[in-house]
Amino acid sequence: MKLTLGKFRYFLAFLFVILAANFLVAQKIRDNHAAPGEHMTPNGDGTAAARPTGPTVVTGNGINYNGGPVLHGNPVPIYIIWYGTWTSTSGSNTAATVSLIDSFLGANSLGGSGYEKINTLYGDSSGNVTGNLQLSSQIFDTGSQGTRLRNANITKAISSALTTGKLPTDPNGVYLFLTSSNVKESGFCTQFCGFHTDQTINGADIKWAFIGNTDQCPSGCEIQSTGPNSPAAGVGGADGMINVITHESEEAITDPDLNAWFDSSGNEDADKCNFKFGPTQTAANGARFNQTLGGLNFMMQMEWENSRGGGCDQTLGGTFFTN
Amino acid sequence: MRLLTMCCAVFFFMTVVSSAQEPVKPSLTPRIITATRQVTMFSGLEQQMLHAVQNKDKAALGSMLTDDCAINMPDSDAMDCADWIDSVMNKDFVLAKFVLRQMSVADLGTAAVVSYDRVQDSKYQGKPDGGEFYVIDLWKKDGNAWKLANRYVSKVGSSPYMPKGPVKPTGKG
Repeated sequence: MKLTLGKFRYFLAFLFVILAANFLVAQKIRDNHAAPGEHMTPNGDGTAAARPTGPTVVTGNGINYNGGPVLHGNPVPIYIIWYGTWTSTSGSNTAATVSLIDSFLGANSLGGSGYEKINTLYGDSSGNVTGNLQLSSQIFDTGSQGTRLRNANITKAISSALTTGKLPTDPNGVYLFLTSSNVKESGFCTQFCGFHTDQTINGADIKWAFIGNTDQCPSGCEIQSTGPNSPAAGVGGADGMINVITHESEEAITDPDLNAWFDSSGNEDADKCNFKFGPTQTAANGARFNQTLGGLNFMMQMEWENSRGGGCDQTLGGTFFTN
Repeated sequence: MRLLTMCCAVFFFMTVVSSAQEPVKPSLTPRIITATRQVTMFSGLEQQMLHAVQNKDKAALGSMLTDDCAINMPDSDAMDCADWIDSVMNKDFVLAKFVLRQMSVADLGTAAVVSYDRVQDSKYQGKPDGGEFYVIDLWKKDGNAWKLANRYVSKVGSSPYMPKGPVKPTGKG
């Protein structure tokens, strides 16, 4: 069959139209599709409609059960990936910060405390949260993904830790990805101080949270620039991180798959008391604190209690405070 | 020769349109965040403004704006905030519901740049007038209070704004 110039012109015109249409369709910026196993629910700043599913365990306290599971571990194992430089001799990227946070998440501190027991009011059809958590193991990653991170980088770092066996692959635990202050994560300090999510990694539904060193933006992520455990004035990173760790670990336990406990505005239990601390005392260095755990003072935001109509308090059954 | 020229033209066109694919928007990560203190505070202020609009509370709304406040939208002149207040206080406009999301705050000390996505269910003269809007607000500190100085707003999903070229005389009338 001989292709004439005229027919070829028609063919080119047709090809042109197809390509142009294809191009125009491609101009639409990508929609956000959740990957299998992920859940597009709230994003924690009161921005997404709740997804009503499943039976309600407890109602009428300003927060709703949406059908998903909670973590029942006794204790819930905590795994830490210390990312970046944590060996500085000054500031808060130090071994002292590592030691303080290890202690905070270790035995006889946050886990089992009256504060953590507030979480026992959240449950699912299998039972309630135990109010106990404990550091299980940790590793150091000095920067396998560089110092400018996006979520995909964090996933890679966690995946590497699991597939190489440096950390166990535990769908019932919470993985904390803690970054030093020289590491940038898009959105950190302008949108958030931390976040939690779940993803299928190494074949398991892994619950992980990002928390950056809050010394990167004290005005955004620290309630005071000098905390009760600060090594020097203005070095509040460790205390600031502990506050965010508390927030994220509470939520990762009561809403691990982003489909369990949150209110109609998408706020989870800790979101409802974000940066609300209640009454405080003053430490020797002038910093305020509102909890004493394991012999150390901490400044931790309150948590939403799912009883008595709901409210923010510092300990299970304690007084509700609005700020 | 003409065939070759035509092929080159098609290839050139394809190359040009391919390069126009950028920028690619990063996907939205399913996650629940701990909002920063500024996000928490400005989220409250923005909601306060929207509640004033809902309640037709002109005094409350006006108290949150600077004297020279202006609102900018694509393909239109800047609107003085006094005119904006009149338009949203008009009984023909009804703001039923709204949701703010994806808020980001750049804290500049005495000023702050706040961006967010607003989905609203509203009506004007009984007809649906809502949708999704991307908003950038410039807030300025006024003593201990924050006031809105400038707002830049565009509808999400609308056609990209293209600057109009100079009007060429057609020779007709």
